[in-house]
Amino acid sequence: MSPPDTSQRARGDAVLSIEGVDSGYGDVQVLDDLTMHVADGEIVCLIGPNGAGKSTVLKTVFGLLEPWSGSVRFAGGEIGGEDPADLVRKGVGYVPQIDNVFGSLSVNENLRMGGVARKEGLDETITELYERFPLLDEKRGATANQLSGGQRQVLALARALVMEPELLLIDEPSAGLAPSIVDDVFDDVQTVNDLGTSILMVEQNAREGLSISDRGVVLDQGTVRFEDRADRLLDNPEVSRLYLGG
Amino acid sequence: MSSLPQFLANGMVFSCIIVLGAIGLSLVYSIADFANFAHGDLMTVGAFGALVGGRYFEGAFPGADVSVFGLPVSFYLALLAGMAVGAVVAVLTERIVYRPMDAGSIELLITSIGVALSYRALVQLQFGAGRRSYDIGRGGPIDFFRETLGIGMTSRSLVIVTLTFVLVVALHLLLQYTTLGRKMRATSDNPSLAKVSGIRTENVVVAMWIIGGALAAAGGVFLGLDTIVRPRMGFDILLVVFAAVILGGIGSVYGAMLGGFVIGMTHELTPVIPLVGVEYDSAVAFILMVIILLVRPSGIMGGEAA
Ligand SMILES: Nc1ncnc2c1ncn2[C@@H]1O[C@H](COP(=O)(O)OP(=O)(O)OP(=O)(O)O)[C@@H](O)[C@H]1O
Ligand SMILES: [Mg+2]
Repeated sequence: MSPPDTSQRARGDAVLSIEGVDSGYGDVQVLDDLTMHVADGEIVCLIGPNGAGKSTVLKTVFGLLEPWSGSVRFAGGEIGGEDPADLVRKGVGYVPQIDNVFGSLSVNENLRMGGVARKEGLDETITELYERFPLLDEKRGATANQLSGGQRQVLALARALVMEPELLLIDEPSAGLAPSIVDDVFDDVQTVNDLGTSILMVEQNAREGLSISDRGVVLDQGTVRFEDRADRLLDNPEVSRLYLGG
Repeated sequence: MSSLPQFLANGMVFSCIIVLGAIGLSLVYSIADFANFAHGDLMTVGAFGALVGGRYFEGAFPGADVSVFGLPVSFYLALLAGMAVGAVVAVLTERIVYRPMDAGSIELLITSIGVALSYRALVQLQFGAGRRSYDIGRGGPIDFFRETLGIGMTSRSLVIVTLTFVLVVALHLLLQYTTLGRKMRATSDNPSLAKVSGIRTENVVVAMWIIGGALAAAGGVFLGLDTIVRPRMGFDILLVVFAAVILGGIGSVYGAMLGGFVIGMTHELTPVIPLVGVEYDSAVAFILMVIILLVRPSGIMGGEAA
């Protein structure tokens, strides 16, 4: 599958730009002078070895970690260290890597919780999401704990979509899923993007992740090692050898 | 009047008091994430709040002494006053003490012991260490219950059971069918995801303290109505309330209701157990708790959050 031609969009304004960011946990620095961006309408795939700091990038963008230095800008405004609840209202969505659904709440309640910050149109949006994800519609009343791994991942994605975010941060949507379902989840991610949401996605399944992305960023030890169009990264022998398992 | 039905009736009343205390304790545990040792004394605060409220409302307006289900209107107003005091004290404590500390569960637990002592000291300073009671006539047993079931049930007991039922059902409706209730369950289920979803979890925590404080106060008022009002009343039943919470499954509100019921009943049924003295009522309740925990280590409803 060749990546969609997004050269037009990729040249658009940056919806997210991270510049010279250091960040980490307590005294432990993880991100080291990180600079990268997501242009309007893009899917950017963030790959790299375990512990490279991929999740830390998303947490720092989403205000779960305060950047130690540098700037994080969303749609032109500084958002570094801003409260996640405020970022949700500004149009940033986040799907965490783990524990990304409310297990004891029903599917429908999970979606409603995704839209707590909405003033109006909540019911309409949820109805649309049920149309787009029929498997959730069938399971409306079931608790999230009763769903399969793949269904849960779709619910986690849908929960973040209730706010109709401009920028969506997704941490390893395919983690722990059977190969057959991985494609479905990536299809869903792509559909979300087609409908106008810019996406920064962390992926362990680097080849599959890159294949639906416009650009890729390779992170290693908290800093950017490679950054290029996704198809070129896939063809780059060094990236292939070091980060894509040959 | 010391038949099994009578002990069951007594058990119902005591269960109600424990259930109200256990719900708040469990809510705090599930959302604020610590075992609040001040919860028993919060019940005491509510009981004394109603004592003051009762004096204020008694004869304060025409109709204040009209009897509703055997108790004067002023008592119900005093109950509301006590619940309001419980809620306000709980929220203020969270604002002034717990929140600024920004500490872990163990530090908060230890702090709450200090808070408990402070509540009790303030109550004693204001009201002395003596025993008080609500200024309401001790009505005799209601004829209907004596004739049909052969038990002595006073209007006080009836009011306690009925109002507890109303409060528990109201809480259930709130948790299941309102946005605030869903937010409370979501926050208790997964606090970090709740934040990430845009829920203002600070506000949810305040709501939780209001509800937990008001219900604890109601439990305290009912304990005072059933027995007497004194500064150690809440502290003395705190362990039983804890047993109910642990039995039900820590952090589960519905578990707390069930655990409170089981523990309250066991406590009052001690007299019918052969060879066990009444003075061992709490011990029997604890033994039952241990037995159930051996079978279900996470409590009756443990693992099924909220
Ligand atoms: N909560 C935390 N407290 C302290 N250190 C952490 C915490 N979370 C992650 N780390 C450390 O930060 C580094 C980067 O972690 P991060 O989760 O960002 O990696 P990742 O690239 O997402 O890895 P993975 O592919 O395993 O998800 C690791 O060394 C990790 O041990
Ligand atoms: Mg990660």
